[in-house]
Amino acid sequence: MKKEDTVKLISAEGFEFIIDKKAAMVSQTIRNMLTSPGSFSETEHGRVSFPEISTTILEKICQYFHWSLQYASGKETEFHIEPELTLELMMAANYLHT
Amino acid sequence: MSAQKKRNFQIEAFKHRVVVDPKYAEKTWKILEHAIHEIYNHNASGLSFEELYRNAYNMVLHKYGEKLYSGLVATLTSHLKEIAKSVEAAQGPSFLEELERKWTDHNKALQMIRDILMYMDRTFIPSTHKTPVNELGLNLWRDNIIHSSKIQTRLQSTLLELVQRERSGEVINRGLMRNITKMLADVGYVVYQEDFEKPFIEVSADFYRGESQQYIDCCDCGEYLKKAEKRLNEEIERVSHYLDLKTEAKITNVVEKEMIESHMQRLVHMENSGLVKMLVDDKFDDLGRMYSLFRRVQTGLTLVRDVMTSHIREAGKQLVTDPERLKDPVDFVQRLLDEKDKHDKIISVAFNNDKTFQNALNSSFEYFINLNPRSPEFISLFVDDKLRKGLKGVSEEDVETVLDKVMMLFRYLQEKDVFEKYYKQHLAKRLLSGKTVSDDAERSLIVKLKTECGYQFTSKLEGMFTDMKTSQDTMQGFYAAMGGELADGPTLVVQVLTTGSWPTQSSTPCNLPPEILGVCEKFKNYYLGTHSGRRLSWQTNMGNADLKVTFGKGQKHELNVSTYQMCILMLFNNADQQSYKEIEQATEIPTPDLKRCLQSLACAKGRNVLRKEPMSKDIGEDDIFFFNDKFTSKFYKVKIGTVVAQKESEPEKLETRQRVEEDRKPQIEAAIVRIMKARRVLDHNNIVTEVTKQLQSRFLPNPIIIKKRIESLIEREFLERDKEDRKLYRYLA
Repeated sequence: MKKEDTVKLISAEGFEFIIDKKAAMVSQTIRNMLTSPGSFSETEHGRVSFPEISTTILEKICQYFHWSLQYASGKETEFHIEPELTLELMMAANYLHT
Repeated sequence: MSAQKKRNFQIEAFKHRVVVDPKYAEKTWKILEHAIHEIYNHNASGLSFEELYRNAYNMVLHKYGEKLYSGLVATLTSHLKEIAKSVEAAQGPSFLEELERKWTDHNKALQMIRDILMYMDRTFIPSTHKTPVNELGLNLWRDNIIHSSKIQTRLQSTLLELVQRERSGEVINRGLMRNITKMLADVGYVVYQEDFEKPFIEVSADFYRGESQQYIDCCDCGEYLKKAEKRLNEEIERVSHYLDLKTEAKITNVVEKEMIESHMQRLVHMENSGLVKMLVDDKFDDLGRMYSLFRRVQTGLTLVRDVMTSHIREAGKQLVTDPERLKDPVDFVQRLLDEKDKHDKIISVAFNNDKTFQNALNSSFEYFINLNPRSPEFISLFVDDKLRKGLKGVSEEDVETVLDKVMMLFRYLQEKDVFEKYYKQHLAKRLLSGKTVSDDAERSLIVKLKTECGYQFTSKLEGMFTDMKTSQDTMQGFYAAMGGELADGPTLVVQVLTTGSWPTQSSTPCNLPPEILGVCEKFKNYYLGTHSGRRLSWQTNMGNADLKVTFGKGQKHELNVSTYQMCILMLFNNADQQSYKEIEQATEIPTPDLKRCLQSLACAKGRNVLRKEPMSKDIGEDDIFFFNDKFTSKFYKVKIGTVVAQKESEPEKLETRQRVEEDRKPQIEAAIVRIMKARRVLDHNNIVTEVTKQLQSRFLPNPIIIKKRIESLIEREFLERDKEDRKLYRYLA
């Protein structure tokens, strides 16, 4: 995959997740970050850091992005969420507009 | 965050997350404000979207939304005031360019700001019913830039001036114009309307009012229309290039009103170049232009149509009432057809085949054709001419076209029964003299008449054809039955005509020469022998004969003459000299016919088989006739026509007229009885209307005559007047 087609998401602890841009754009917030007309640093470097999202949550989020794409293309499976993550995940979802 | 992610969660902040720092809001806002400044200064590359978004997100989440929003308004406003200053400072042509550049910048900045503040747009603004960021930005642009006192009027006049310059032929920067008008429309359609469209329309109206006045004073109609069309197209093009599409209807309306509507009367009636002149000269392009332009104006086409109608009526009236034209019926009808063709072509080429124009044309023709009472006769004569000789060597399709055209004229006739009368006469002559060129053409015309007017109209005409056919068979039968018995005598061809189907001219039969009489008797016996209960009477005035004559020097000729002439000539077999009185006595031909026959035998040059004394053009009662021994001709066959007026003479015309009137009476009566039988009781006016309606496919009955027919029916006790209301009639069964 070309570098332009991927984006690097960085968690509060500094873990880096490199995922498909298309998947990342499931989040409206990330979509805006990457497509806004101005040259924000995110757009230029293809790197977004989330100082308020923990690694566990961000990992779950990335999984969700991919699951969501599949779901939209007709592959209807369950997305499992551990109950202890639910609250934080919901807050992140609100933040990311997902 | 699962399959049901669409549900909008409203997440309340946890208490423990409340930030204690009282200056938190102030600090965060400073960061955002700084970012906005940087964005406007094209310096955004260093900024982190995530950080700004998180800050705005947190402000809203911690109930500082109000502060964020009002801060945004204040910052945007101050930036826009700066922009306004720099736009105001721009000189001359750079004014619009500067405005356009700043507008692009503002738009871009606005979008970035909106993206950063997306969370506010999504949650805070809907719940507090504030204006969304993007709209807010546009509104502030409108208030601070477009409606800034130093920009508003300047912008307007600059735009209008550019349009005006383009109208006078200069090339302007259309892209710039488009961007500016688009900016106005983007800020709000009302702004576009108020700040540009309205004054634009007003200025244009003034401009075109002046220009059209100037054009109309110095151009002719065709030229003016060309200019108007050009202007109209220019305006339409202008709209497509750099104005809002909704403006098209308004600006074209202005051009239509100022350039066409206010001047259309004058244009149409322009002498030497107006509508009439165009029609006369077949100016298809100009007419087409006039049509397409005038169609845009409400009463435009009505005006064109009215003027065209009155022109056609006037020209037609002149044509049908010109005594010169009445001399040659064939030419008369040909001119009518030409006139029709000409206008048909104009309507199809220039007037888009407009139905209303076709109707106007038809009604005009109907109007003027019926102005001349002889039109039915002339149309029939035209057909007669075509069917006698005009269609020789013409292809079948052409024959059909000619006949179709005649039918079209026929449709305009009000007195169709008069036409029928003449047609019958002419057809009879054609059939009996064997002059008809094409049987197919004859029949085709009858079929056309039949589809047009129904079975009734043509049944007698068809009867005539049947008679001709049966006569042929009868003659064959006659000669077969007689065998050699007739070998020496003259050959007789009899056409047995059914009374009623043919136009009968009551005529006393003349005395046939004994040679002929013998054969005739034989035929009579044969015919009455095969058909019992019939009566034969000889119509000697309608026949013709071929005679073999040997002249003085032994040269032989075959003369083709009428039956009357044959009778006269046969007298000279026994004597070389006959006086008028003797001839009259011997033949008993009615005086006018006799004179006519003698005239054609003795006075026509090259055909004068008789000589008369004294030599003169007219036949006198005391004239003496001699067999002209010295007759010579280049041809073996000589046709001696009777001097027959093709066109009817005055007395004949009156007679035909009378017969038509006579024939109408029973038709009117039949119509009245039909109507009264159905209605039982009806008042006078209604009867007249109904009768007129029933009969109009054949003729237009005169109300006075209808009244007379009613009276006659009352006398004969078909109807009675109501005892109380004298206007009511009752049907008596």
